Amino acid sequence: MGLIQRSRVKSPWILHFDNSSCNGCDIEILACLTPLYDVERFGMVNMGNPKHADILLITGPVNRRTARVLKNLYEQVPDPKVVVCVGTCASTGGVFHNCYNVLGGVDKVIPVDVYVPGCSVRPEAIIDGVVMALQKLAKL
Amino acid sequence: MMIKQFLFVLVTLVGAPIVGGLLFGIDRKITARMQGRYGPPIIQPFYDFFKLLGKEHIAVSKLQFVWIYGYLVFMIASLIFLVMKSDFLLLVFLLGFAGVCLVLGGFSTKSPYAHFGANRELMQILAYEPVLLLLAIAIYAQNGSFLISEIFRQDKPLLFTLWPLFLAVLYVLTIKMRKSPFDISTCHHGHQEIVKGVTTEYSGPYFALYHLAEWYEIILLLGIISLFWTNPLWVGILIALAAFLLELFIDNITARMTVGWMVRLSWSVGLILGIINIAYIYYTKGVS
Amino acid sequence: MAIAILLPVAAGFLVLAVRNYYVRNIIVITTAIVLIANSILLSLRGPFTYTPGGFDWGLLITILDYAILIFYLYVGISLRNWLVLIFALTQILPLAYFEFVMKAHIEVAPAFVVDHLALVMTMVISIIGSLICIFALRYMYDHEHHAHIEKSRQSRFLFWLVLFLGAMNGLVFANNLVWLYFFWEVTTLCSFQLISHDRTKEAIHNAARAVWMNSTGGTAFILAIIYLYATQGGSSALSVQSLIGGGIQSSVAVLPIALLCYTGFTKAAQMPFQSWLLGAMVAPTPVSALLHSSTMVKAGVYLVLRLAPVYAGTYLSVIIAIAGAFTFFATSALAVSQSTGKRVLAYSTIANLGLIIACAGINTPLSIAAAILLIIFHAISKGLLFLCAGTIEHQIWSRDIEDMEGLAAKAPLTTLITAIGILSMFLPPFGMLLGKWIALEAAYTVPLAAVFFVLASTLTIVFWTKWLGRLLQVLPKIERPFEKLSLSYSVPLWTLLAGIFVVGIGVGPIYQNFLRAATNDVISGNQIIALGLNNLILITPSFMQRDILGLFPVWPLYLILIVALLLPLLLIGLKPTELRPVYMCGEQTGGTDTDEWLAEADRKTKLQLGGYYYQSILGEKRVNPWANAIAILLLVIMLGCGVIVI
Repeated sequence: MGLIQRSRVKSPWILHFDNSSCNGCDIEILACLTPLYDVERFGMVNMGNPKHADILLITGPVNRRTARVLKNLYEQVPDPKVVVCVGTCASTGGVFHNCYNVLGGVDKVIPVDVYVPGCSVRPEAIIDGVVMALQKLAKL
Repeated sequence: MMIKQFLFVLVTLVGAPIVGGLLFGIDRKITARMQGRYGPPIIQPFYDFFKLLGKEHIAVSKLQFVWIYGYLVFMIASLIFLVMKSDFLLLVFLLGFAGVCLVLGGFSTKSPYAHFGANRELMQILAYEPVLLLLAIAIYAQNGSFLISEIFRQDKPLLFTLWPLFLAVLYVLTIKMRKSPFDISTCHHGHQEIVKGVTTEYSGPYFALYHLAEWYEIILLLGIISLFWTNPLWVGILIALAAFLLELFIDNITARMTVGWMVRLSWSVGLILGIINIAYIYYTKGVS
Repeated sequence: MAIAILLPVAAGFLVLAVRNYYVRNIIVITTAIVLIANSILLSLRGPFTYTPGGFDWGLLITILDYAILIFYLYVGISLRNWLVLIFALTQILPLAYFEFVMKAHIEVAPAFVVDHLALVMTMVISIIGSLICIFALRYMYDHEHHAHIEKSRQSRFLFWLVLFLGAMNGLVFANNLVWLYFFWEVTTLCSFQLISHDRTKEAIHNAARAVWMNSTGGTAFILAIIYLYATQGGSSALSVQSLIGGGIQSSVAVLPIALLCYTGFTKAAQMPFQSWLLGAMVAPTPVSALLHSSTMVKAGVYLVLRLAPVYAGTYLSVIIAIAGAFTFFATSALAVSQSTGKRVLAYSTIANLGLIIACAGINTPLSIAAAILLIIFHAISKGLLFLCAGTIEHQIWSRDIEDMEGLAAKAPLTTLITAIGILSMFLPPFGMLLGKWIALEAAYTVPLAAVFFVLASTLTIVFWTKWLGRLLQVLPKIERPFEKLSLSYSVPLWTLLAGIFVVGIGVGPIYQNFLRAATNDVISGNQIIALGLNNLILITPSFMQRDILGLFPVWPLYLILIVALLLPLLLIGLKPTELRPVYMCGEQTGGTDTDEWLAEADRKTKLQLGGYYYQSILGEKRVNPWANAIAILLLVIMLGCGVIVI
C-alpha cells in the first residue's frame, strides 16, 4: 500500500449523523469512543464537521426532512469517503419502514458501503463494520 | 559562517515539523493514558497529515488558500527568526501576522461557525499578545538588546530575573496550544467547540497545511520557553518539555471556560506579572 | 517656496470663480502636478532660509488674523454658540493687548526656515494632499448627484480644500511664531468651512465644536507668544529656531513650551479633545482624508515634535510621553466598539497621533526617528484608507461596517485596495509597523509609555482584523469580475497604494539619505543604520555596551510577504466543481452559494452574521468618562510642570 492509502486506513475520521433514530444506536456509537472500547487507538476521531470526515456513520431511518440534510452533508464530505449504516433502521427502515413520513433506509438517498444490522448495534459490531469500510477505503 | 547558518535553518525547516508532529502524537498518547485508554500510536499525526493530503480538493472560497498559506509561511518565518537569533520583538510581530492570517481565513467565508471561531480567535490574540510584547520589552530591559543572540551571551539565565513573566508565558502557552481551559476558538481532535471554529471550512490538503503550521508553532513556542535558560541550552529545552507536560496535565483537569474569563484572567494576572517584572528591572537596573 | 504657499491660494480663488466642472478639474489637476513637482524640487535643493521683502507682510498677516477671529465671533453669535464666542474673545483680547498695549514690533529674521524636517512635511502635504484633491473632483460630483443638490457648491469646497494646502505649507515653513499662529488659524478656518460644507444641523454643530476646541489651543498659542515676548525680551524670542537653539537651560521657562504643546494637543485631537475629530467625520470623505488624518492634525504633532529639543530632559517630556501613550491606548480601545467605518478610522488616527506625540516625549534620537517615519507612513496609509472608505461609500451608499459585509463579492477591486491598506496599518513588514517597532524599542526610557504601547498595539490588531473580516465574508461563488472605478478615484488610490510599497521597501535608502538629516534637525546623535539596501539596524548608546539594539530585515520580509500572500492569490485556482456550500448543519436550501436555510417548520430563514463590537465593555459610554478624566488630569499636570518650572 502506498503512503497515502496506508494513512487513510490508519486515520479514519468519523462524522456521526442521526437521521431520526431512537438514539439507541447513537449511544452505542458514543460508547465506542469511551475508554472501554477506545476506538481512538485506531486513529478514529469524531469530527463534527463533514468537511473533515472520511467515514459517515449514519443511524436512524430516513424521512423527508432528513433526506435533504443527508444529501447536503454527503456532498460536503470530500472524496474518498465511505458510508456505514449503523442499525437496522438505517439499513432498511427497520420497524418504521411503513410509516407515512419514512422513506426507508439510507441507501434511498446516498450510496452505502457497509450495512451493520442490529437493534441496537453492539459496539464490537460497529467497530467490525468500520474496519470493513476501511478495507473498502483502502481500495478507493 | 553563512553556510553554517543556512544549513542550520534548513535542518530546522525539515526537522521542526517532524519533532512537532511527534510531540503532538506524544500529547495524544499521554492524554489517553491519563484517561485510562490506550491512545493512538505516536506517529498518528503523520497518518492524519498524509490522509488529508490525499483528500479531494474542495473549498468554500478562493481566499481561504491565501490565508492558510499566509499562516504557514509566517509561522515558518517566525521560527527562522528564532533559529537565526534575530530580533525578538519582530518575531512576536510576525507571529501576530500569522495569527491574523488564521483569523482572516475564518472570516473569508460567510459561515456561521467560522465566523464565531474567528472572533474568538481574535479574542485569544487579545489575551496573549500583550504578554509576549511585554516579554520582549523585559528581555531588552534585562539585556540591553532585543536580539536573541544577546540572550545566549548572558551568564545568568533569564529565568532568575524574569520568572514572573515565565509564569505569564505559561498562560500564553496554554492559549496557543489550544488546551483547556482556553481551547475556545478551535481545538484538537475529538473536541468540538462551535463545530471546529476557525478551521470549520477548511478541508483536505489545506487542513493538512494547518496541521503543519501547528507543528511549527509548537516548536516555536517551546523554543521561546527554552530561551529562559540558554546556558546550557539543554536545561532550557528540558524546562520547555516540562512546561509541555504541565499543559497536558492542565488540559485534562480543567474544563473549557468562556472568552470573557480568558481575556480577563490574562489581562489581569498576565499583565500584572509583566508590569511588576519590568518595573522591578527598571528600578534595580536603571535605564539607558 | 513661494509657489508652495501662494500657488494653492491663487488656484483656490480661481477655482472659486469657475463654474464649469471640466475647467475646474483641469485647474486643480494642474495645481496638483505643479505642487508635487515643486515639493520634490525643493527637497532636492536642500535646506534654506527665506525672508520675504518688499511688502509689510507682518501687517497683512495681522489684519487677516483679526479678520478670522472676528469671523469666529460672528459664527459664535449667529449660532448662539457661547463656547465659540468665548474662545474667540480669549484670542482677540490678548492679541489686541499684544498689538496695542505692549506695542509689539515683531521682526523675526529669517521669517521662513526650511530645514529637512520641513522638507519632509511639505512633501507629505504636497504629494498626498494633491492626490486627495484629485480624488475630491469626482467624489464631490457623485456626492451632490446622489444627494440631489440643486445649486452646486463644489467650487466652494475645492476652494477651501486647495487653499488649505497653501496654509499647511506656510505652517511648516514658518519660523516666526506670530506667522505660524496665522497659518494655524487659517487651517482651523478651513476645517470649519469644510466640516460644515453639507450645511446640515449636525455638520454645523460639529464644525463649531471643532472651532472652539481649536480656539482653546489658539488662546494658549497667543499666551505663549506674549509670555515669550515679555520675558525673553523682544521679537528675537519669537523665532522657533532661537527657541530650539537655546534649549531649556538658557532661561527659557517651560510654561510657554507647555502652552504650545497644549496647542498641539488640541489640533491633534488628543484626549480629552477627541470629540471634535469624531464629529468632523460627518464631512465628505476628502475632508476627512486631507485634514483629519494626513495633514492638518499632523500640524499638531509637528509642533510638538519641533519643540522636542526644548523640553528634552524635563518632567514635561515624560508627561507628554505618557499623555500621548495613554491617548494611543484609550482611543484604540474605543475604536474596537465603533461600527461606522469612518469613526474607526478617526479613532485610529487619534491613536497614531498619540503614538507620535509619545515618541516626541520620549525624546531620544531613536524615538524621534520613529516619530518622523510614523508621520510619513501614517499619512500614506491613512490617506489611502479614508479614500477607500469614500469609494466604498459611493458604491454601497452607506458608511456602516455591517453594510460592508461581503464587499469582496460586490466590489472586489476596492476590497483588495482596502485590504492592503488595512494590512499596511499594523502588520510587518509595512512601514507603520516599522515605525511602531522602532517606537517600542525606544520606549523603555519611559516604561509606562511602553506598557501603554503594548496594550494599544494589541487592540489595533483586534479592530483592524475585525473590519477586514467583515469585508471578506462572501458566499461560495467563482465569478467575481473587478468593478470599474472612475479615473479620479483610481489614480489617487493606486498611487497611494504604490507609495506604501515603494516607500516601505525603500525605507533603508530613504532613511539614510533624507530622513536621517531630518532627525538630526530635531535631535542629534543618530541611532539607526540602514545597512546596504535591506537591513535597518538600530544601534544603541552606551547602555550596557551592547552594539546592536534591534534588527529589521526589510527586503527579506517583503519577499516573505509575497510568497505568503501574493503567490497563492495568483497561482491557486478554484474550479466550479470544487466549490462546496458552507456548513450550516446541512439545513441549506438551494445551491452552493445560497445563504438561506430552513428553520423550524421548514421556514426559510436568511443567514445573518453580525460583527462583534463589545459596546458594553468598550463602548463610548463606558470608556469616555474615566478616559477623559485621566486625560484632563494629565493635561493639568503637564501645564503644572510648565508653571512650576521643573
